Amino acid sequence: MADFSERKLKDTQMKASINQTLIESGEKERLKEMLRNKLIECGWRDQLKAYCKEVVRRKGLKHVTVDDLVSEITPKGRELVPDDVKKELLHRIRAFLAQQKELSSENIPY
Amino acid sequence: MAIEEGEAMPLDCAIIQEIYDNGNAQEQFEFDLDQALEAQRGIIIIEPAKLGDETARWITVGNCLHKTAVLAGVSCLATPVLIQNDVANFISIPMGTLSIICASIYGVSWQFDPCCKYQARGSVCHTCRRHQQRLHSCLHCVFFGCYNLGHIHDHFRLNKHFLAVDLSYGAVFCFACNDYIYDQDFETVVKEERLKASKFLGCNGWEFTPWEASRAEVSLLRRSPRRRRVTFNSTIGLRGLINLGNTCFMNCILQALTHTPLLRDFFLSDKHQCKRKEGRYQSKEDPKDQCLVCEMSKVFQEFYSGLRSVHIPYKLLHLVWTHARHLAGYEQQDAHEFFIAALDVLHRHCKGHNGTSGNNPNRCNCIIDQIFTGGLQSDVTCQVCKGVSITVDPFWDISLDLGPSGGQVTPTATHTPAPGSTPSAQPDFNDSNSSGSSTSSSSPQEIETGLMSPPGFEDVPHSLDDCLRRFTRPEYLGSSAKIKCNSCQSYQESTKQLTMKKLPLVACFHLKRFEHSSKLRKKISSFISFPHELDMTPYMSTHRRASGLRENVQSNRRHLSDNRYSLFAVVNHLGTLDHGHYTCYVRQHRDQWFKCDDAMITRATKQDVLQSEGYLLFYHKRILEYE
Repeated sequence: MADFSERKLKDTQMKASINQTLIESGEKERLKEMLRNKLIECGWRDQLKAYCKEVVRRKGLKHVTVDDLVSEITPKGRELVPDDVKKELLHRIRAFLAQQKELSSENIPY
Repeated sequence: MAIEEGEAMPLDCAIIQEIYDNGNAQEQFEFDLDQALEAQRGIIIIEPAKLGDETARWITVGNCLHKTAVLAGVSCLATPVLIQNDVANFISIPMGTLSIICASIYGVSWQFDPCCKYQARGSVCHTCRRHQQRLHSCLHCVFFGCYNLGHIHDHFRLNKHFLAVDLSYGAVFCFACNDYIYDQDFETVVKEERLKASKFLGCNGWEFTPWEASRAEVSLLRRSPRRRRVTFNSTIGLRGLINLGNTCFMNCILQALTHTPLLRDFFLSDKHQCKRKEGRYQSKEDPKDQCLVCEMSKVFQEFYSGLRSVHIPYKLLHLVWTHARHLAGYEQQDAHEFFIAALDVLHRHCKGHNGTSGNNPNRCNCIIDQIFTGGLQSDVTCQVCKGVSITVDPFWDISLDLGPSGGQVTPTATHTPAPGSTPSAQPDFNDSNSSGSSTSSSSPQEIETGLMSPPGFEDVPHSLDDCLRRFTRPEYLGSSAKIKCNSCQSYQESTKQLTMKKLPLVACFHLKRFEHSSKLRKKISSFISFPHELDMTPYMSTHRRASGLRENVQSNRRHLSDNRYSLFAVVNHLGTLDHGHYTCYVRQHRDQWFKCDDAMITRATKQDVLQSEGYLLFYHKRILEYE
């Protein structure tokens, strides 16, 4: 049990450090940019937009808030992201971290 | 570092000094801030008023170095001018050295300045110290809180600070309305900053945002309240064309062009600004001055006007006659030749108008070039030194041979096709007036070729893929066609391979059904199957080169660029070489097909299209990349 929680702690630490590296280098913004483009290209954005419109129409414009909309479309939005896009994003993050590791050996415990 | 309560200030105001003088500065600063927040200050001013000891030292030293460098540099340059004797050298040289040393120390020490570290720190939620969960920043005080976990909500409840800005998207949330609010000025700022940030990071995605109606467009929409709804079964975009006397060659190309999605979008969004018209409007009588692009624009207007009557393209025909003399007259013409001629004239008229630089004739950014131009790479490999010379030629269409195999890979083959007559897409771009495959001589066919061809090579292509494979395979140029090799500087036998360097957005494949060789003139009517969706990746230069490498390299490549194409128009020829008739299948909406036979338009199925003979095949790219 202790082992598990220890690992979990390590995981969060690593997540934080990876995130910090991504932000400081500006890579995070570039990744976001890529993701945004990919999602537009594959039609995800249009699909979700259409779904949003449908939700708003169903509930009526007066009775819908951003929170409602977010909670309603989030599961669908996640589900609609194509595997290819996820894979590519993962690939890009991996490549970036590997490159960072090469640059400075002590950087991230990857 | 302490909170100062300025007496002159209103009571609920606190000033926090943000100083980065040691490693704990960030924590101390946040601690101060928390204290101020707990004390429920209305206004918190953060200022780097007093400098920390270390920072102050850095700046003093930096200033000193900087000034010394400049002064020493100036005196180094000035002394030889002011003092005209040998003494000058004794002052000038040490001063110059001093200047350089100071400047370099200054430069190096700036790199280690602790301030640099704080430039790109991410912001975190002040409650849970996390950065995901839609971080919002309070607009009343310094507070970051996540939206998803409700920390920014807590902040509002505690402090009644009801405005917060979403840090990833820049939208402002108002807790009083419990919704995001959209302020025009604020949105403008957001857009500008976003563009600046993305440029700084070297990505340009925000330049490509969805269309938003400008003020002029909004008023235009208001002024013309008529709307036309395009439904699934609407016939907008379909119009028959009168045959003006053997002009079916023009009609079918016109149908194909008007159903080219990118071209349609270009013309219907009124992107063509004609300079020719403005400049010489007076000489309207002279048809030489009239712009074919403007006329095309009118044709598009006619096609998508919603009218269902037959359109008579007499004006267009007249303009084509004036601009492409070889097509004038009431004779039957080759549709492919017309297509190339039309593109050429359109291209010429665009070039003069849309303000493109004429520096590079092969790379202009007129709409025709953007859509139809691809790059064909030809690798000529010397058989002796294996040196490769690469040339890239622009092309508008790909002409594919259908006859028995003309060239062979094996150097043992005896027959020798002339180097120019490969199953090539001629660089129609350069001499499009005279070319057009109906006039080009096909490779001299020999009866023995069938026997000569190595086993496993299909002699006569049966599908578009066969044709393309044949088109892009290495071809032995023969012993009589020796080419001077650049690397070994001698005339040697060589092989040539054509590949796609750059794919056009719309690819036009021309099946050479009309054979004009020395011996016979005939039409090849054999069935060539062509797919509804075509992947051009195997015919790319990058793919060909990579084919020697491992499979996973290729799959990565393929993953990155999508080269799939969809069929959207097919031109068919009925009849014989001497007289015949052209018809055209066009795709409408997403997947409806129609057969255009001059003035008659009938619905067709996908099967009809794919089973048809096919003379010109038009494909468009499925995914357009940002450039």
